[in-house]
Amino acid sequence: MNLREQFAKAQTYLAERFPVEKMNYASMVEKKEVPVHRLSWGYYMGGLALFFFLVQLVTGLLLLFYYQPTVSDAHASVEYITNHVPGGALIRNMHAWGSSLMIATVLVHLLTAFAMKAFGKPREVTWLTGVALLGIVFGFGFTGYLLPWHQIAVNATKVGLQSIEMVGQYLPGALARWPTAIKEAIQGEASVGQATLSRFFAIHVIVLPLTVFAVLAGHVISVQLHGMSRGVDEPPKRMEKFFPTFFMKDLEVWGVAFMVLFILGMCLPFESFSAYPLFEPFDPKGSTPDGVKPEWYFYFVYYPLELLPFWVILIAQHVAIAVLALTPWIFRNTSRRTLRVLAVAAALYLIIMTVFGGTIYKLFKG
Amino acid sequence: MIDAFLFVGLPYIAIVTALVAGFARARSNKYGLSARSSQFLEDRQLLWGSAPWHIGVGIVLLGHLVAVCLPGVWASLLTIPGALLTIETIGVAGSLLAIVGITVLIVRRVTSARVQAVTTIMDLVVVGLLLLQVILGLMSAINFRYGAAWSTGTVVPYFWSLVRLKPDMTYVADFPMLFKLHIVGAWLIILALPFTRLMHVLYVPLGYLVRAPQLVIWSTTRRRQQAVVAQAQAESRREFIKGAAGGAVAAGLLALGISEKLFSFFKGPRADLEADSALLAKKLQRLQQTAEERELELERQRKEMILIGRYSELTENKGKYFTDYRMAPGLAFKGKDGLPLLISAKCTHLGCTVGSEMDNQGRILCPCHISYFNVQTGEPNAGAPAKAPLAHLAWALVDGDGKVVVSKQPFQPAQGTADSALLAQCNLYITKPGLA
Amino acid sequence: MRASLIFIISFAAATQVHAYPEFQKFVTANSGRPVNCALCHANHDGPEGTAPGQIGRLTPVEQAELGRARAALEAGANVNSPILNAFGNHIIDRLGKKKFLELRVAPAELAKLLPADSDLDGDGIPDVQEYLEGTNPLDKNDGNPWRLFQNNFKRNFAQIMLTLAATVAGLYALRHFLRGFAIATRSHDESEES
Repeated sequence: MNLREQFAKAQTYLAERFPVEKMNYASMVEKKEVPVHRLSWGYYMGGLALFFFLVQLVTGLLLLFYYQPTVSDAHASVEYITNHVPGGALIRNMHAWGSSLMIATVLVHLLTAFAMKAFGKPREVTWLTGVALLGIVFGFGFTGYLLPWHQIAVNATKVGLQSIEMVGQYLPGALARWPTAIKEAIQGEASVGQATLSRFFAIHVIVLPLTVFAVLAGHVISVQLHGMSRGVDEPPKRMEKFFPTFFMKDLEVWGVAFMVLFILGMCLPFESFSAYPLFEPFDPKGSTPDGVKPEWYFYFVYYPLELLPFWVILIAQHVAIAVLALTPWIFRNTSRRTLRVLAVAAALYLIIMTVFGGTIYKLFKG
Repeated sequence: MIDAFLFVGLPYIAIVTALVAGFARARSNKYGLSARSSQFLEDRQLLWGSAPWHIGVGIVLLGHLVAVCLPGVWASLLTIPGALLTIETIGVAGSLLAIVGITVLIVRRVTSARVQAVTTIMDLVVVGLLLLQVILGLMSAINFRYGAAWSTGTVVPYFWSLVRLKPDMTYVADFPMLFKLHIVGAWLIILALPFTRLMHVLYVPLGYLVRAPQLVIWSTTRRRQQAVVAQAQAESRREFIKGAAGGAVAAGLLALGISEKLFSFFKGPRADLEADSALLAKKLQRLQQTAEERELELERQRKEMILIGRYSELTENKGKYFTDYRMAPGLAFKGKDGLPLLISAKCTHLGCTVGSEMDNQGRILCPCHISYFNVQTGEPNAGAPAKAPLAHLAWALVDGDGKVVVSKQPFQPAQGTADSALLAQCNLYITKPGLA
Repeated sequence: MRASLIFIISFAAATQVHAYPEFQKFVTANSGRPVNCALCHANHDGPEGTAPGQIGRLTPVEQAELGRARAALEAGANVNSPILNAFGNHIIDRLGKKKFLELRVAPAELAKLLPADSDLDGDGIPDVQEYLEGTNPLDKNDGNPWRLFQNNFKRNFAQIMLTLAATVAGLYALRHFLRGFAIATRSHDESEES
């Protein structure tokens, strides 16, 4: 194949992935249709994740007016927001619940997109941007968790960052000190302190949002151009119009999600599920309270880390990320039935490890 | 006396008359029951009169109805900040609209020749009574704010006392004349109902609200084509109107609920003096803690030796916490040989502070993931999550004159000796690591 | 010599235990939630030490208050000990120090002797219940999640209903707007089918 033919082939490849000819009103709105089948509920998950993200943006912006990112004032400023600012408790609680709901929705979205083979040609770019967004969302969770600067925030972050350092034991010679150096570069100083808080704040409030806007724009445009994938192997018995029917149903899902988030925000303080000592201001010279753990959406990594040797988790993590990123090519010829089975298996693992991880840990460690 | 007639006698007369005469008229003159519309005679002014009148009075009467029928709900609705003002404003707006409408209708009745031809005296009486009643109501609302709230405790129980046949006019006996006239006016209107055009109130065409749109299509090709376009236009217009109505309700509720709160959020709290000073005290305390931490850090950067305490404070079983040269926690015990034993208290697993109580096996416990560290050797127990031992720290004992009596570096024997009498007077210092 | 004697005596007095870990053990075991000294004390690590809220950092005025609180053997003394938080002071005030010390062997009885209707943080859960469940009786955002939800739901019912009404109205409006828009922009060759 000569250069001209190669070029033509590349052009066709890109044209299929970025169908700019569809960027007109007729294709994107008027004529677009969505298949109706028993997995159609999965089509709403992406939009729901976007909704929760928008809620986080707004509540986060409001919190930004009162939060102070210094080790002496961070905890006091969050307490101020909760107890003194009118409506502050609602905004803060909605932000906390919103982050958990957003991450849960993102995981469901990942599993349903996988099960429906939505990564199939020509939607590989959508999938790749989605995987990037998954990493970014977990980054939001990790950096945001530190900001209240209470016992569980700081100690859990220390624990999380320490796992980077633990890679050093497997590296030879001088390389063994690199993970520690990397960890201290992330922290900004020898142990988690003001430098860490400042940069986590900057990452959480500017760096990640800007990154998300860029990647999300690509992701959403790609979804809108290609339309919803077929989702199941059987040809759809019915198609519904994207506009206004599907779009309206999407908005109704948003309405329900908003009411759920609002009621949770008004009535159920996020921190009431854990023991109160964990939320006291971080005291570096005092004792560490019991029950220091990362947030629930890290349990699927945290408990295996506690139970199995570190190198097992290290390898498994990298394999999982590689498989996720290369899914459109690894599973190109896999049947939807197999994909559904894999998705259910992954879902079961996530649910069991998240809900029962603590119990499993106690069973094995006594 | 006259109060008893106006507020007990008149209501019952009015209600009974309305029921009996209305019933009789309905039976005997069914086809005569109508509002005798004059729309065919004059419809321009009718539009500008009838529409504002009916909409305005409908809004006001709806408020009256909810207050009378659901006083509990009404009262709890009014507890929401801003709700009372909103409801009163809507009521005033409605009544102004009604006054404009009824005035136009009066002018129409009196100036249009065609309409005069079909006007009876009772028509004029009714229209005058209605105008008067709305004006009295508006003036009551403005002069005696806020009617929506005080009516639930006065007028509503009065009404229900009449219904329950246990009339109690003490509820309304003390009202000013202006408002009493409004109540009397209401009973007069009810009395007049079966004898006037007001009969049309009894058959409001509610079905029209949910009736399917009627489409009149002329049967020519051109008209049929036009009808298709017109139908689409009409349908989309209907949808937009429904949308606008829903949007207005949503926006209204949103404005009611959020605007005040959003404003307060950005304005910030105006706490009372006590709460403000408690907050300031807390912030001061945190600042002081930060200042102390910085002082400790500075001390550790500058000094070669740092005082921890007196030798006599040390015990064999309970360690004394201090902060070592790396700003990490440390524990000081009295060793079996009588000399101090200093060990890092930062757990080598995940950094929690290790506990200070030594158990009967000479170990201290890190509570986070249960690792036991032997104080003498620093080693964790077999199978503990912590793998590396706790480091021992260098110390020095200094006597009253500032002379170093005994000192020890980790992994080396102690340098210098002292008897117990001398030791009891010594101060314990940690020494900077990396120095002999 | 005399100086060191005075020092030794005051040091011996200072080492007298003033914290009562029996209560902490009971609450942790009874509720399954790990609690710390901040349940009753001003500092989360207890009264001993030199941190804020501990004995080693009291001003002379505060030391006088502490002495008064320690001497409050009977109930009703209206104590304001600087090493106790509002709940701790409430306990000594209602029970007296003598009764409190007797309860060390039966910490569960504390819940029966305190007034059952007292709710210092106003979260709708009585203090004695928060004591038994290991949640902070001075923090209105800490408590049994289900009970907090119920209490807050009742308290905020009007707001929630209005928000629901606004959401439903908003969705209704959007639905009809979108439909109207779709009908209005429908190309006319489609509409000929009717």
